[in-house]
Amino acid sequence: MSDAYKHIDKLMQELRRGTITIGALSQLHEPQYGYSLVTTLKEKGIQVEPGTLYPLLRRLEKQGLLESKWDTNETRPRKYYLLSEIGKEVLDLLLVEWQSIAKSMDYLIKERGGENGDH
Amino acid sequence: MEIINRYVYSVSKRLPEAQRKDVADELRGLIEDMLEERVQDREVTEEDVEMVLLELGHPRILARKYRGEKRHVIGPELYDLYILVLKIALISTIAVNTAIFVIQVIVNPMNILDYFVSFIVSFFTVIIPMVFGWTTLGFALAEYFSEGRMEKLELEKGWKPSSLPAVPDEKRQIKRSEPITGIVIYVLLIIMLAFSNEYFGIWIFREGELSGVIPFLNENLYSSVMILAFILFGSGIVKEYLKLFYEKWTYKLVTFITIVNVVSIGLILFLITGFQIWNPNFMNELIQYGMITRGSEGYDVISQIWEQLTFWTVIFLVFGLLFDLIAGFVKVRKAK
Repeated sequence: MSDAYKHIDKLMQELRRGTITIGALSQLHEPQYGYSLVTTLKEKGIQVEPGTLYPLLRRLEKQGLLESKWDTNETRPRKYYLLSEIGKEVLDLLLVEWQSIAKSMDYLIKERGGENGDH
Repeated sequence: MEIINRYVYSVSKRLPEAQRKDVADELRGLIEDMLEERVQDREVTEEDVEMVLLELGHPRILARKYRGEKRHVIGPELYDLYILVLKIALISTIAVNTAIFVIQVIVNPMNILDYFVSFIVSFFTVIIPMVFGWTTLGFALAEYFSEGRMEKLELEKGWKPSSLPAVPDEKRQIKRSEPITGIVIYVLLIIMLAFSNEYFGIWIFREGELSGVIPFLNENLYSSVMILAFILFGSGIVKEYLKLFYEKWTYKLVTFITIVNVVSIGLILFLITGFQIWNPNFMNELIQYGMITRGSEGYDVISQIWEQLTFWTVIFLVFGLLFDLIAGFVKVRKAK
């Protein structure tokens, strides 16, 4: 069983890589700072470590999909991230792709489940 | 708390200068947020801080995630070329040093053990590290300054199946080993001539040891001879690189090789006919060393050859060019 978990760790890492990007982008129509995004995603069932999310946000900003602004009015300064115009466009396209993948995967898995049921 | 500062510093010092402050500020905010969530209303203890930092993980790993993109010195775009150049450089230097070793042994066979030891020592302490070091440094710099432009270039060029090169006809194909050998030989010749041109001549042995050399070349003109040699062998290297690049015999390749040949031969002819590059005292020195005696039949023959050396060099070069040309064309035509 522990062997299976070893595989799972690696595979989940690969699987999460793309989904976290979509997850993060999907929550940034309104400005959020890094840690609030970690919490929101967690509440909605997506576990992501800050050590992964923070560098990701920075990378997305560098690519132009996000815009950022330091808010210094609160008790401590926070960097807020928000979808840029291109980011919105990219997210829309990405969601279409994602839905298609999810649907196909669903179909694949169900089909296989049916086969198993026959045996 | 001081430990937080140490953690933030540990991460940010591993990042490019321009990002350091921004990342540090963000990281500090994150740590405070995480602490706040952890303790809610009670006081923050050192243990809490430690738990939060442990959760964030080793600073090196976090910094690596921030740096993201590039973690190599020489990327896949340059790797093949890097290995090729490294191979050529290594074979050349090994060949040169072996040749120097052989010459040393011929000149002074008594010291063979000393020469051999210093050959082996310099092999591991100088030659290998130097070749590896400089080649790698050169490519690392190229990689650094190209900053992914190579990849972009490859993508922008566009690609269609019809642009795939034809599978080369075996008769037209140039085996990689052939130009590599050529380059190694040219490098060998250049270095041998540059560092031991005084050995280029007739070697006189007395009692098993080298007692003198009668040079073929005019010693006063070594610098122009050097230029000549560099042009000749340099253009040879250019030719071999062209072969390496085209991978098969084509009209284009033959045309390029012809241009290189014509230009280099033109320059050589200019140098040979414009200066007295052959040793003017050659005949006298032969007599001095007792190789021949004046007035003998041998003297006449050799002096005749010597006087016509320039003429024969020109003939030799022109025929060499023609041969190169014809051989190239024959190889191109063979496949059709």
